[in-house]
Amino acid sequence: MYCILVYDVGEKRVGKMLKHFRQYLNWIQNSVFEGELTKGQFDEMMGVAKKLMKKEEDSIILFSMQSNKYLDKKIYGVDKSGLTSNFI
Amino acid sequence: MKRMYYIFTPGKLKRKENTVFYVPFKNVEPQDDENLQNEVLLSVDSDMAESLPTNKIVLPVQDIDSFYIMTEASFNTKFLDFCSANKIPIHFFNYYGFYSGTYYPKEYLLSGSLLVNQVKHYSSISKRLEIARKFIEGAAFNLSKNLKYYNTRNKDLQAQIDTMEGLAMDIPSATSIEQLMGIEGNIRKVYYTGFEEILGKEFELISRKYNPPSNPLNALISFSNMMVYTTVLSEIYRTQLNPTISFLHEPGDRRFSLALDIAEIFKPLFADRLIFKMINNRQIQTKDFESRLNGYYLKDTARKAFVQEYDEKLKTTIKHRKLQKEISYRRIIRLECYKLIKHLIGDTEYEPFKIWW
Amino acid sequence: MHITGTQLNYFFVCKRKLWLFANHIQCEQESDLVLQGKIMHENSYSYEKKEYEFEGIKVDWLDLNNKVIHEVKKSDKVEEAHLWQLKYYLYYFRKNNIGEFTGEINYPKLRKKEQVMLTDDDVVYIEKIIDEIEVVKNLPFAPKVEKPMKICKKCSYNDLCWV
Repeated sequence: MYCILVYDVGEKRVGKMLKHFRQYLNWIQNSVFEGELTKGQFDEMMGVAKKLMKKEEDSIILFSMQSNKYLDKKIYGVDKSGLTSNFI
Repeated sequence: MKRMYYIFTPGKLKRKENTVFYVPFKNVEPQDDENLQNEVLLSVDSDMAESLPTNKIVLPVQDIDSFYIMTEASFNTKFLDFCSANKIPIHFFNYYGFYSGTYYPKEYLLSGSLLVNQVKHYSSISKRLEIARKFIEGAAFNLSKNLKYYNTRNKDLQAQIDTMEGLAMDIPSATSIEQLMGIEGNIRKVYYTGFEEILGKEFELISRKYNPPSNPLNALISFSNMMVYTTVLSEIYRTQLNPTISFLHEPGDRRFSLALDIAEIFKPLFADRLIFKMINNRQIQTKDFESRLNGYYLKDTARKAFVQEYDEKLKTTIKHRKLQKEISYRRIIRLECYKLIKHLIGDTEYEPFKIWW
Repeated sequence: MHITGTQLNYFFVCKRKLWLFANHIQCEQESDLVLQGKIMHENSYSYEKKEYEFEGIKVDWLDLNNKVIHEVKKSDKVEEAHLWQLKYYLYYFRKNNIGEFTGEINYPKLRKKEQVMLTDDDVVYIEKIIDEIEVVKNLPFAPKVEKPMKICKKCSYNDLCWV
């Protein structure tokens, strides 16, 4: 499935979250990630994320869809679209 | 599905924070790679420079199937260790697009009984011939399928098709590997004469303007064949098959020869079809080639364009009739490995992949 | 050769799978279903979980105070296999003088659990099965399955078997 993940967590945990999500998804902006995951990878990623977060203070929001086929993505300002590409 | 990552911009790859960081050479500390950096930056095509990443990029390790290093890159053993731990093979091509080798991480799928069977099928000449024949049979079928595809599209290739099919009749009765290789060579010779008809004027230009020792089309064919070879090798890595024990090619011919064997079947679909398409659509033209001391090579930008199309091609899906589900072209290669495994363990006789659409 | 819990499980699920697995032809590594199962184990009951692994006997969670072996399962399909896998562990613990344990199968997704005991009849049956597993493992070729079964779809060997 295709995921867009955003998070808003306490300052202490920002670095940890960043490092964690970077292993699974492409970082596209501060606290925003994007990418393709399998169900298993997703479970694995969120399993750890749930342990890292403080449920009373932090929030993680996930938008997911079957594929990015119907995702219309427009970028204004600085184009960092190379960040999700597998061509470097 | 994990992706193949292609590095076209000179830079450094490193392990950091349990994932992979890519840093373009511009940003590498000068004392790090001074000589390399100067050399590489001078050699980058000017039209590439605009799209050069200027900052580091963090690659999600969980998304990396394999790496293709298509340019100057540096890394240390810590990075290689990390790739091994995450089962990521690395394929290297040099600046001119010549394949230079693969970092094949320590195998993680081992089956003693399969290995014994693989060796047995190599050392018994009748068993070996049986498999080698199938590889050639599949390759020959797919080669003539390519010509048939164009034959129904206003190109006249009937003569080649007939000759190739005639030659293929001898495959079942071939009694040695050399004989099989000879048949394959002859089929290919005829097949290549069909290129002129398919590629039209563009090919004429390419073939006549530049002559021996090599020509641009040859450069393109070798490059695309090596792409197929490396993709097959990556898929073999994900199975218990031993990549060095082969049946058609002689084992240990410097390369992972089983990948050479299996690639024969897939080159017509993955490499040749793409070449026809890109030249006919003028995505690759004569100006995309440059000559060097040892022949021709595909310029950086065209090579990148080719690999992009190749990557797309592998992602194309098709309904598999037997499995009754959508699978990617790339997956077909893995299934071929599975079929070979089943043959080797005496389960189901191997039948080569034949383009069924 | 020693019989692992997984092998015993596969004996009930599919003899072909058992043969392939025992001959180290595995497709598990890449199967997403396998990863999902693994993650579910890691994320369920982690605060009280004590894994135990010995000679291929891999117990999801061992409660030493109450002498209970827990098995965590994703769904209650193929129940017979789960049940006998756990009974085999109880049997194994008894045979190797580790102690008299009882069993519990947990289905965190279904919020369900099931108690399991080892009877004398079970012991006889398990010993018979162990012999049969040895026979299957040592067959020269993988046992054939005539046509795809319902469970094939969810099996990591599906593509290998049916391509």
